Amino acid sequence: MTDEAYTPEEQALLADLDRLLADEALWALPSEGVEHCVVAAIRSEQAALESGAATRTYHLARPASRRRRWLATAGAAVVGAAAAAIVTVMVLRDDNAADQTVAMAGTDLAPGVSGSAELTVVSSGVRIDLRIPGLPRRDGGEFYQVWLKSCDGTQLVPAGSFHELNDAIAWAGVSPVDFPLLTVTREVVAPPKDAAQGSSGEVVAAGAIGECPG
Amino acid sequence: MSAVALDAATLQAFRAGDEGAVRAVYRQFAGLVHSITMRVLGDRGLADEATQQTFVQAWRNAEGFDSDRELAPWLATIARRVAIDIHRREARRPRTALDDADPGDSALITLPPSAEGAWEAGQVRLAVDALPADEREIVRLQHLEGLSHTEISERLGVPLGTVKSRSFRAHRSLATRLAFLREDI
Repeated sequence: MTDEAYTPEEQALLADLDRLLADEALWALPSEGVEHCVVAAIRSEQAALESGAATRTYHLARPASRRRRWLATAGAAVVGAAAAAIVTVMVLRDDNAADQTVAMAGTDLAPGVSGSAELTVVSSGVRIDLRIPGLPRRDGGEFYQVWLKSCDGTQLVPAGSFHELNDAIAWAGVSPVDFPLLTVTREVVAPPKDAAQGSSGEVVAAGAIGECPG
Repeated sequence: MSAVALDAATLQAFRAGDEGAVRAVYRQFAGLVHSITMRVLGDRGLADEATQQTFVQAWRNAEGFDSDRELAPWLATIARRVAIDIHRREARRPRTALDDADPGDSALITLPPSAEGAWEAGQVRLAVDALPADEREIVRLQHLEGLSHTEISERLGVPLGTVKSRSFRAHRSLATRLAFLREDI
């Protein structure tokens, strides 16, 4: 450092500041998902204020080695527009806790089927632990596809394909705030001409992570 | 305090819970808030929790915030208070049987040792965030990683003279912005 260019007062101050500037805490940034949690918590609390409904908690998954108890509470009214599924929000306090548990309900293509999806937000994306035991196994070019969907249905993000969903783990790299609908479709491997396979539209189960307007 | 202005329209939208405004406020002040919560709590997970709670509490109380004031000191105050509350909550968590807990345990009634320096840390963070990115990076490498100017020059692929001049500008800027801390540090 070209100390000779500083005034004595500046040098003294900078010497004192060195302790703070060398502190890792000074340079720390919040984890990637905190911004999403802030937005989601405020959105939920707003919805609750408007409707006087239940409580929702958003929090990030934390490393198993660390104690987790950071729960920012907000309220939320949650109604599934697509599947009339009931969303149950659970506040869990152990190291392997999910952020949210969503009830999955079968559609007319899978009547009587029910299950759950546990969502855990981590820095790499949203982990979705699916347990829908009533869906029959699909093999031989047939499979299930899990999707996150925007409220208006115009945007669809794939979260994995599966033979069965008795105990499956899906991942999505989008925010459940922006894609609050969780659906499962039945699919068949597309012929070569259709390499960019889209959804068949044959939804067999669905659940609502968050609220959709209207 | 470094002037970190937020326009009135954004502040009003933040009060209304507009997502874009919430994100704008968060992105502008997340560094400040997190440096305070980290300093108080010393645990990244807990600091994340405190950072989240700070912004949610700020939104809840935004109606009462005078828009003629600067937002940063207000957020810093909330952040420190939230972090201390979390520290106390964690201190109360039983590590042994409840019957063994000493109700006079000083951890239950005193501030964490690092809380006292949280205000200064917040001021320094604001000043650092106000630096141009290239100068800020040099300050970080110099103080946090302990690199010499020569090492920084090699790391960044920037001429040594440029590193020295940027470092000088950055430190003079910090000294100017933070002169009011001189008696407090």
